Amino acid sequence: MASSKKVIMREEWEKRLNHIRIRKEDMNKLVMNFLVTEGYAEAVAKFRMETGTEPDMDVAMIMDRMAVKEAVQCGNVEDAIEKVNDLNPEILDTNPELFFHLQQQRLIELIRNEKIEEALEFAQEELAPRGEENQSFLEELERTVSLLVFKDVSNCPVRELLDISQRLKTANEVNAAILTSQSHEKDPKLHSLLKMLIWAQNQLDEKATYPRIKDFLKATLENPAV
Amino acid sequence: MPSATVNKPRPSELLSRLTSAEPEVKVRALREVKNQIIGNRTKKLSFLKLGAVPAVAGILADSIDDVTENNNCNNTNNFLVQSAAALGSFACGFDAGVQAVLDAGAFPNLLRLLANPNEKVVDAVARALRMIYQSKLAPKYDFLQQKNMEFLISLLNSEKETVSGLGASIITRSCETNLEQKALFDAGILRKLNSLLEGGSLSQRDASLESLATVFRNNPEVISKFAGPEIGRPLSSIIDLAKDRYPRTRLLACMCLIVIRNASPHFLQDIGIKTKLIHILLELLDDPGQVGDEAPFAFSSLIAQKEDLQKLALEANAIDKFHHHIKKGSLHPRRYEGILLALADMCSKLESCRSKFLSLQVLNLVADALTDYNAGVRAAACICLKSVTRSIKNLSAGYFMNETIVIPLVQLFLDPSTSVQVAALGATSNIVVDFTTRKSIFVQCGGMKQLVQLAKSMESSVRSNALWALKNFVFQADNRLKEGVFSELTASLLSSLIRDPEPSVQEQALALVRNLVDGCINLIEFVFAEDGLILGAIGRQLQCASKAEIGIQGMYALCNVASGNEFHREAVMQLLFTQMGDKNQSFVVKFLQSNDSQLRTATVWTIVNLTCPSSPGAPCRLEKLRNAGIVSQIKNMVNDPCVDVKVTIFFIFRICFLFASLFWLT
Repeated sequence: MASSKKVIMREEWEKRLNHIRIRKEDMNKLVMNFLVTEGYAEAVAKFRMETGTEPDMDVAMIMDRMAVKEAVQCGNVEDAIEKVNDLNPEILDTNPELFFHLQQQRLIELIRNEKIEEALEFAQEELAPRGEENQSFLEELERTVSLLVFKDVSNCPVRELLDISQRLKTANEVNAAILTSQSHEKDPKLHSLLKMLIWAQNQLDEKATYPRIKDFLKATLENPAV
Repeated sequence: MPSATVNKPRPSELLSRLTSAEPEVKVRALREVKNQIIGNRTKKLSFLKLGAVPAVAGILADSIDDVTENNNCNNTNNFLVQSAAALGSFACGFDAGVQAVLDAGAFPNLLRLLANPNEKVVDAVARALRMIYQSKLAPKYDFLQQKNMEFLISLLNSEKETVSGLGASIITRSCETNLEQKALFDAGILRKLNSLLEGGSLSQRDASLESLATVFRNNPEVISKFAGPEIGRPLSSIIDLAKDRYPRTRLLACMCLIVIRNASPHFLQDIGIKTKLIHILLELLDDPGQVGDEAPFAFSSLIAQKEDLQKLALEANAIDKFHHHIKKGSLHPRRYEGILLALADMCSKLESCRSKFLSLQVLNLVADALTDYNAGVRAAACICLKSVTRSIKNLSAGYFMNETIVIPLVQLFLDPSTSVQVAALGATSNIVVDFTTRKSIFVQCGGMKQLVQLAKSMESSVRSNALWALKNFVFQADNRLKEGVFSELTASLLSSLIRDPEPSVQEQALALVRNLVDGCINLIEFVFAEDGLILGAIGRQLQCASKAEIGIQGMYALCNVASGNEFHREAVMQLLFTQMGDKNQSFVVKFLQSNDSQLRTATVWTIVNLTCPSSPGAPCRLEKLRNAGIVSQIKNMVNDPCVDVKVTIFFIFRICFLFASLFWLT
């Protein structure tokens, strides 16, 4: 197998790479796109000042979106919902899954704060109708409501719902929905580029042995195994 | 702000706060109502019932007055934004809400507010209007009025996405006639939509695709003008979008291309584009959301009635893919219905598709769908069965006449939905054309009795389809089966169905009689039962037949009766002549002069049977026919364009020749 693959040594590889020109403006745009999509409003403003790169979105819009994301990350879901509705009432009206996840997060926060009676009332009045309106939510609904059954929630089978990562998941979902409603892509382009790199390397692996990048953070070329 | 308010005001309390004199209280209540209803259909309904919509519409109206009086700007704008957003949410995907908003008179106010200087107000108002235009209940937009067209153009030209999106949705909802489509084209709207396709944002492209499809629908003239001198270019931007990275855009682009294909024979006919469309739509099935639900419907619109496309789709393994998706189970009802209808279209004409369908054992899955809780799915399963049961090869082998299919199908005769009943009857009509001895299975599971019950339904479509199924059931069935049907039906019911107010019911009833009396001579006695009720009904109906099909079935029924014995033939003669009365021309002559060749054929065949030389009364009957001018009418038909008629007339001439003395005296 190895003998039929073409072998490219490091020197040759680096020579070929050096022939490729990447423009600084393009890299700046990629960075700006990342900052905008992830919502780092202050960084966007600073980067714009320092490089003259224009963000593909108003800074004010980024700040609005970040306020929503942060509200979810802090567990202030009701506040987040109000802010999203001020931004664009269509988002939650046309995204039943997102709305359900936000309501679900509200219930989780009530349980986390040990407001059990309120949680029960909320589950009955707000979450149960979601399940009635849409049967695909029933399973998730049952999992969430089962949190109310356990005395020691930190050790129950559905304890990951109480994790901070659950908040992050919901926050990212809202972020993506807001971006989509603004006709902006929900993933940074850097994300797609990295995916392309990994895919291209996997394809090339079948045909050649060459200096590949294993650690993307360092982006160092590993010598090909001969 | 706290994460959850402890004491939430009750809905009725909120509503009363909407009419508060204090603006602070009012606006907070308004915002609270808005936030409670967004995304929450249950709350929308309960607030609706409490009368929230007129209250909110009232706030909108009052705020407009405040704008004109130049009152506190910020406050007023806030009221406008919140009330418009609330109204928009009530109308979002909720027909009862749309109706309430329209009834409350908010629509003209919303339109006026599009000219408001504040951006947030315009956004909220444009969204609310777009929600209304997404519903069938939206008021019709009159494109033919000049100022309306100008207003529409101004909407599309707006820099704001919400406003141009509103313009597009008005076109998608309201443009219906060819005249309107042409007016939109003449006003340059299509060029504007095309520029949104090429340079607009994602939502503008999608909205544009939908509007373009609406303007193109069934209008080849507009299409060729659009594709115009830059041949292929505008169409190529739509074709490119069919390969877009967003599934919804791909679906909408495909739907637009399909509309163009179906309307115009000049565009998109090459095999490359056909194959591409099929592949893209089949791949869209994998989308888990609404796009995947709608893809099979687009697929149907592409292949329906088109054998060449069905063949291509078969080669692209469409049936396998649909089978794979149904097998997965727990489908959204819309998707399930779409896939079943797509399978029905695939199997509607080609035996190769039906064979593939049956070989994959899809039939069992379709039989399961007959008992689904959703009426649309049940009806679609029946329509699918109707297509598949056109397979004569398998019908003859008695493949479909088994309990797995027949029992649930017969149960659907009692379905609460009329469209399900009619669809079930359609499938049954094919299945009962069974050339084996297994028709009795249908009787055993109560199917025959149910059909007779349905023949008494209040719905005319149910009556005529039930009769159709019975007609097919008795086709070449054995005597015992036919007698069973007749005794269940009774002469009085059958004769009243022959005289039914609906022509389609009359036609099927007469065809049923035709099939009942065909064959054994004993069966002819049916028409004489209860003092010749049925025979009399046939005669009266033929006298006033409203369409050729009724005459055809009636004459064939008489033709079959006249193939019996002398008594039968004399009875038919009497019928033909008693109906003549006074100056009215006999319906026989009228039928012989008909434009419909089948009707002429049926009539001359009846005359052949009446004058058949082996019967003693034939010469007498021939004389009567000659005296009524019927023989000379037949002589005039010697050059009839229809071969069947000409051949039959030849028989009559032979008969006349045998009774030479009578013939030469004319």
